[in-house]
Amino acid sequence: MFKKFLLKLLWLYQKFFTLLGYGSCRYYPTCSEYAKINFENNSISSAFYHTFTRILRCNQLFEGGIEYPLLDKLSLKPTEIGVDSIKYWLVPNKKNRFYIIKNFSFKGKMC
Amino acid sequence: MTPNQRLMIAVVLSILFFVAYTFIFPPKEAQNEKSNQVNSQSAINTQDSSAAQPQVAKVEEAVSHNISSDEKMAANDLSTLVTITSGKFILKLDTLGRISSKVLLQDKYNDKDDKHAQLIPDAGAKPLFIRFLDPALNEEAAKVPYKTTHSELLVDNGSQKVTLTQELLSLKVTKEIVFFADGHYDVKISLSEDKRYFVYLGQRPRITEQMMTISGAMVYTDNEIVTIIKDGDAEGRKTFTGVELISAFDQYSATIMYGFSKDTNIIVERDRDDNPVIYFEALKDMIFSGYIGQKEYKTLNSINPVLTNAIEYGWFTFASKPLFQLLSWLHGIFGNWGWSIVALTLIIRAVLYPLTYKGMVSMQKMKDLSPHIKELQKKYKGDPQRMNAAVMDTYKKHGANPLGGCLPMLLQIPVFFAIYRVLLNAVELQGAEWALWISDLSRMDSTFILPILMGASMYYQQKLTPSNFTDPMQEKIFKFLPIIFTFFFLTFPSGLVLYWFVNNLFSITQQFIVNRQFKNAKEAEIATHKHAEKKDD
Repeated sequence: MFKKFLLKLLWLYQKFFTLLGYGSCRYYPTCSEYAKINFENNSISSAFYHTFTRILRCNQLFEGGIEYPLLDKLSLKPTEIGVDSIKYWLVPNKKNRFYIIKNFSFKGKMC
Repeated sequence: MTPNQRLMIAVVLSILFFVAYTFIFPPKEAQNEKSNQVNSQSAINTQDSSAAQPQVAKVEEAVSHNISSDEKMAANDLSTLVTITSGKFILKLDTLGRISSKVLLQDKYNDKDDKHAQLIPDAGAKPLFIRFLDPALNEEAAKVPYKTTHSELLVDNGSQKVTLTQELLSLKVTKEIVFFADGHYDVKISLSEDKRYFVYLGQRPRITEQMMTISGAMVYTDNEIVTIIKDGDAEGRKTFTGVELISAFDQYSATIMYGFSKDTNIIVERDRDDNPVIYFEALKDMIFSGYIGQKEYKTLNSINPVLTNAIEYGWFTFASKPLFQLLSWLHGIFGNWGWSIVALTLIIRAVLYPLTYKGMVSMQKMKDLSPHIKELQKKYKGDPQRMNAAVMDTYKKHGANPLGGCLPMLLQIPVFFAIYRVLLNAVELQGAEWALWISDLSRMDSTFILPILMGASMYYQQKLTPSNFTDPMQEKIFKFLPIIFTFFFLTFPSGLVLYWFVNNLFSITQQFIVNRQFKNAKEAEIATHKHAEKKDD
């Protein structure tokens, strides 16, 4: 429930309030997108932590650029698989964790 | 019509409606306020008495009892007993021993109709009003007028003492009040016999209430906790002990009482409109102090430092208070609040300079990359997410990131909010002129020049800032932002508009300096390059 509420808030922010400081984010995915993916895939506490540290890093003293969110825990429970139904690609990195990368061919609802 | 166009029309229409509405119906007319008060007056008293009795009395009973006594009081309250005059105010005590009027004589504090500010509203509980717990005694007290020896007093420097006495059948009430020229007073109330009674703080002033400011009642306790009960938010009955000061306030002025003993019971009650009403249970011999006037930091601090806690900037006080101190310090240097605001803006920009400078430098770097970016934008047309990814990759490769980042953006929000609250609540800005046509920083600019300048500077600043929008609708709204802001700022106090305008100016200037530095550096580079080429020839 709480997660859903937070995701709705993020959606609201991305749709409207982002205009006030448009084009500020130094990262890809943007801080709000990063937060959204985190809240969708990880626990609330972990998502809060990562989002918070990401925002702290999002200033001129850091380089910015591409920084994908990481998955905390892998769980396999796909009901159907196809290139259109996959929302995120999980790409393993060197430290045995997974980057969460958006699937641009995903046809379902984004939120 | 596309959905985008429809949305734009909706936005513009709603803004027009908002502006027109505020012009036709200015927020909160003082007159309406008064008539409301008259209606609710009886309600205040009934609620108080029913709640104050230890056993819960039937409400209907209390109502019928109290309305009658209240009418008698209303008939009485026209008669003034004592008039205290000073260079800055005229204060009146009525025959019920209450402060029935306090008018500030300085023109800068004038109300909307340009009359001298009256701090005590016509209706409702008045400061120093005494109510006995015993209904019979209470009724008698409402009929018997107070007596005094002097009816006209002049306070120029120092103080004047007034002694009021009320001779009831079984009781003698004495109020010894010492009035000071700075607006505060010391009171000693003594009863010839021990009776339970309550002293009222009185209704809050109703002079200025702008949008987004709070008004209501406040209780400040010795553990440094401020409890604010906003008008319309009062719930039931609350009792406080260990209280340092109680205050009923509007935007700029307040009725305050302080200096009572720690074990005094302060009671906050609500009236029919859910507005707070404060009174306290007094002892046989009760000594305390009060202040009625503007919430001016220097005045309050010189009377008693505890009074400065009555200056309230909303829930953001912790950040606004130091900011006001800084502004006040700057005022000590410049002697003009307008220039102090300009200086404050400069200081804030100087603090943020390292961040903004770095951002601007990398923005220049990005200009060199722009052909490449355009290429990418063409390549990933219709796929904004992937385009962003590609653009970010390019930035990273070239070590340039034009964007300020989310943190600086988020950091500026509380700073702006704190300034906003200071400029909105600082009474010192009343009647404070800046330069040229700005004669009062606390009021809106009636010529609209400053808000329009603000909008223009914002538009220009936007033009200087590169933006790569992926959503055409967002881009349109973004371009309309300066216009929306101009309309919003039309009714804001000039001081606030001044801050925003000057902030834009500084940021434009900074941009220009960076641009020039880059141009010079580039020219120098080209020159040396050519020089080298010539050598090769």
